[in-house]
Amino acid sequence: MRDVSSRREAERLSLVRRIKDKLFLVILVVLSMAAFLPLFHIVASILYYGGWTLLRGGLSFLVDTPPSPLSSNLGGIGPALVGSAVLVFLTVILGLPLSFMAAVFTVEYPNTLVARVTKLVCRSFTEIPTVLIGVLSYTLVVIPMGRFSALAGAVALAIVMVPYSYTYMEESLASIPRTYREAAYSLGLTRPRAVFSVFTRIARRGILTGVLIGLAKAAGETAPLLFTIGGLRHAYFNGPDHPVGAIPLLIYEFALTPYRVYREVAWGAALVLIAIYLVIFVVLRRTVREVRM
Amino acid sequence: MRFPSREDRMFFYMLLPFAGVVFIVFVLLFEVLIQNSVPVLLREGLKFLTSSAWRPSEVSPDQEFYGILSPLVGTLYSSLIALILALPTSIALAIFINDYTPPQLRDHVTGLVDLMAGLPTVLYGLWGAFVLAPILKTYIMTPLSLYLGFVPVFGCRPITGFTVFTAGTVLSVMILPFMTSMIRESLASIPRTYREAVYSLGATRYEASRMLVSMTKPAVMAATLLGFGRAAGETIAVSMTIGNSFGLPLCMFEPSYTISSLIANQFANAGFYHYMTSALYAAGLFLLATGLLLNSAGVYMLVKWRRTYRR
Repeated sequence: MRDVSSRREAERLSLVRRIKDKLFLVILVVLSMAAFLPLFHIVASILYYGGWTLLRGGLSFLVDTPPSPLSSNLGGIGPALVGSAVLVFLTVILGLPLSFMAAVFTVEYPNTLVARVTKLVCRSFTEIPTVLIGVLSYTLVVIPMGRFSALAGAVALAIVMVPYSYTYMEESLASIPRTYREAAYSLGLTRPRAVFSVFTRIARRGILTGVLIGLAKAAGETAPLLFTIGGLRHAYFNGPDHPVGAIPLLIYEFALTPYRVYREVAWGAALVLIAIYLVIFVVLRRTVREVRM
Repeated sequence: MRFPSREDRMFFYMLLPFAGVVFIVFVLLFEVLIQNSVPVLLREGLKFLTSSAWRPSEVSPDQEFYGILSPLVGTLYSSLIALILALPTSIALAIFINDYTPPQLRDHVTGLVDLMAGLPTVLYGLWGAFVLAPILKTYIMTPLSLYLGFVPVFGCRPITGFTVFTAGTVLSVMILPFMTSMIRESLASIPRTYREAVYSLGATRYEASRMLVSMTKPAVMAATLLGFGRAAGETIAVSMTIGNSFGLPLCMFEPSYTISSLIANQFANAGFYHYMTSALYAAGLFLLATGLLLNSAGVYMLVKWRRTYRR
C-alpha cells in the first residue's frame, strides 16, 4: 500500500515539474516576443508614415528646403542632410585620431597612470548623459565663438563617439598575441614602426569597427546637437564656423510642433535616418559578430 | 619612467597628448558644471534639491527660485517603470537566446538585439510620441485608471498620451537590448561543467535556468544599475513622451519632467533669467554625479563577478 502511494506522490511531483517547465517555456516565448515587438513596430511605422512622405515628395524631398508651417507643399530635408554629412565628416576627423592614438597609448604603455585613467574615463564616458556633453560644448565652444556652429556640434559628437571607438580599437590592439608582437620587434622594428606597420594591420578589423561605430553615433545622436549647431533650416552650408542643420535634430524639432506638414517631414526624415543607420549596421555586422552601442 | 630607446621615448611623448585630451575633457566637464552651478547652490543650498518650486521671474532676480525635486522624482519614477518592465523581459530574452535558440539562429537574434541597442534615440521618441502614446492611452492607461483606480499609482485619468508611464515604457524598450546583452553574456560565461552538473541531477530546463540565473545574480544586479543609469540619463525620447510639465505625480498617468528633459527644454531660454542657467548646470551636475556613482557600482560588480569563473 505504502509503495503505491509514494509512487503516486512521485508521479504527481513529476507532473507538477513538467507543468512548471512548460509554463516557463510559454512565459519565455511570450516575453521574448514582447521584447522584439517594439523593434518591428518601430520599423513598420517608419516605413509606413515615412514611405507616404517620400512617395509624395519624391527625390526632391532629399534636396529641397523644409516647407513653411502652413504650406501644403512638402519641401524637403536637403539642408539637414548636408548638415549631417558635414557633422559626420568633422566628427570623424576630430574623433578618430584621438581615439586611435589614445588606444595605441593605453596598449603600448599600459602601466602608466595616464593609460589607466584614460581607460577608466572612457569606460564611464559611455554612461554620461549626452545632453550634458552638449552643454559642455555650448559652454566651451559656442559661448567663446559667439554663435552656434558645425564645429561646436562636431566637438560634442566627437566626445560622445571617442569612448565607443576607443573601446573597440583598444580591445583589438590589446588582443594581438604576444608572439606576433615579439616577431615584429625581433625584426628590429622600432616601436612606432611596429605599431603602424604591423599591429595596426593585424587589428584592422577592430579599428574599422571603431570607425563605423563612430559614424553611427555621429549620424544618429540628437542631444549633443541641441545647443550646439543651431539648426540651420533654409540654407545648406555656410562654413564649419556657422550653424548647420542635422537630420536627428530636425526630426526632434519638427515632431514637437503642431503643424501637420512638419510631422510628415519628420517621418520622412526618420525613414532616411533609419536607412543610413541600417547601412552602417549591416557593414558593422559583417566585420564583427557582436556590436555594442 | 625609463625607455628602452630614444624612439620609444619620442613615441611616448607623441601619444601622450592624445590620451591626455580624453582625461582633460572629463575634468573640464566637471569643472564647467561645478563652476556654473555655484551661484544657485550658494543661494539656495539644500533647498535646491528638496523644493519643487520652479519660479523664473522677469521682474527681479530676487523673486527667482529653482528647486529640482519634481524633475528628480520624475526621473526616478520613469526609470523605475522602465526597469520594472525591462528586467523580467531581458532576463527571459537572455535565457531564450542562450538556451532555447538553435545555434545557427543565435547570431541573427543577437544581431537584432544589437540593432535595437544602437537605433538612434530620436526614432524611439518619434515612435513613442505618435504611435505608442495613443495606443497606451486607449488600451492600457484609461482602462487601468477606470478599473484599478483605487490603487494610488493608477488613480487618475490620462488627459493626453504624454505621461510618466509612456516615457517609462519607451525607456524600457530602449534599455532592454542593453540589459539583455549583459545578462546573456554572463549566462554564456558560466562554465559548461556547471550546466552539465545541473542537468545530470535530472533538473528540468526550468529548474536549470533558475539555478543558472541565480548564479549570475551579481551580473543581473549590475545590468539593473547600468540600465537604470541609462534610463535616467536619456534625454530625447523622454522629452518627446513625458509631457514636460512640473508637478509631483503620484499617479503614473500624469505628465512630468526628468532632469535631462528639463535641461533639453529650458537651457536655450535660460539666459533670459538671472539664475536659471546656473540652476540647470547644477541639475546637470547632480545627474552626472549620480550617474557615475551608479555606473561605477555596476562596473565594480561586473568586474568582481567576471573574476569568479575565470580560472
